[in-house]
Amino acid sequence: MEAYIRGVGIISPQKTFDTEEFLPEVVEYSNNSLRCMEPSYKDFLNPTLARRMGRVVKMGIAASSACFKDSGIAMPDAIMTGTALGCLEDTEKFLLAIIENDEQFLTPTSFVQSTHNTVSAQIALQLKCMNYNFTYVHKGYSFESSVLDGLMTIAEGNGKNILVGGHDEMTDKYYRVCDRVGYWKKEMVPTMQLINSKSDGSVAGEGAAFFMLSPEASDKNYAKLRSLKFIYKPENQQEIESRISEMLAEKGLTANDIDLVIYGINGDARYDGIYNQLKDSYFKNSTAAYFKHLCGEYQTSGSFAMWLAARILKSKSIPPSVLIGDNRHTSIKNVLIYNSFMGTDHAAFLLSQC
Amino acid sequence: MNELIDKLKGEIIEQLNLEDVKKEDIDNDAPLFGEGLGLDSIDALELIVLLEKNYGIKVANPADGKKIFQSIRTMAQYIQDNKK
Repeated sequence: MEAYIRGVGIISPQKTFDTEEFLPEVVEYSNNSLRCMEPSYKDFLNPTLARRMGRVVKMGIAASSACFKDSGIAMPDAIMTGTALGCLEDTEKFLLAIIENDEQFLTPTSFVQSTHNTVSAQIALQLKCMNYNFTYVHKGYSFESSVLDGLMTIAEGNGKNILVGGHDEMTDKYYRVCDRVGYWKKEMVPTMQLINSKSDGSVAGEGAAFFMLSPEASDKNYAKLRSLKFIYKPENQQEIESRISEMLAEKGLTANDIDLVIYGINGDARYDGIYNQLKDSYFKNSTAAYFKHLCGEYQTSGSFAMWLAARILKSKSIPPSVLIGDNRHTSIKNVLIYNSFMGTDHAAFLLSQC
Repeated sequence: MNELIDKLKGEIIEQLNLEDVKKEDIDNDAPLFGEGLGLDSIDALELIVLLEKNYGIKVANPADGKKIFQSIRTMAQYIQDNKK
């Protein structure tokens, strides 16, 4: 199962929205919580509709609009999104209203908007798109599941322009809840120092990223998405390396053929060892990069990594801000993303130059 | 009455998240639905909840809604006449 990435659209804590420039400068955060740099939504949304939408819905619509514009595709054959938290802000509003008003006076708007599939539904409503529409809610595999569905849809010949994406928003309340279970660092770590951190926990992030997948070759394509593997709760490093080897072998590749590996290093001492071991042994000949200092940790952060890989392959350049050590390769043909969410949901993406 | 109208406008703007609308933009006698503010059926539910929550008024007969929510002035009048 393979597909080309025809277009991208992303809103992240960096200056990534609707711009030709590729991470020209890094926005550094020092408060352990990265929030998206959002555009003015008036350019994308009718104000009458926008007033009912939560932040992540607006982010999703704007990011998907940028993807449609970038790909030149006005109407997708299918829409698949992945989200772990759905429309969290509206869910909180609705639940809070239940508690505060003793289960009385419940208003419809936040309830209607709080469902996980609101973003993909709103994208379809905006386009009047009646095609296949699905939302995957699988924690750290939410985005990956949408991509897998996109690849399978293309493999089965059920569509030529498939919109896949991931979106999750961070709220103050969710940050505090996750803080209590040890997701975030106790001390404030500036994001550019995240990779050197030796303590437990990461920094919180959020984002919305969309991709137009297509089976057809074109000069416009960013990259070819060649494989995606889920490695759920790997028992040890050997299992991870063996699964990656299998994935590469299926494509006639070995670790030495991977020019660049993008790791999901998040500064959490509990989980970064896996990435470091891959970097220092299995992929010792590959250039290394990371991305969670730019977008923070969140369940659909794999979408930021896929955007980064696609941009690197299209621009044939690696932004210095994502490199770990030196760039060892003059040309980047094969990129592997290895990411995990909190040590359980591991995934590997293989992308190649078109 | 004018004080109530002013208060009601603020509450409607907040409840319906009318980001770009200011109190002075709302004509006291303009229709709330369709033309004027351009509200819809979901907004109608929000307004019914607003009346009950903020003023303790239950709209028992849905058929009355059309008259009550004709404009800001008719809404304010209904509140004045029925407030407990």
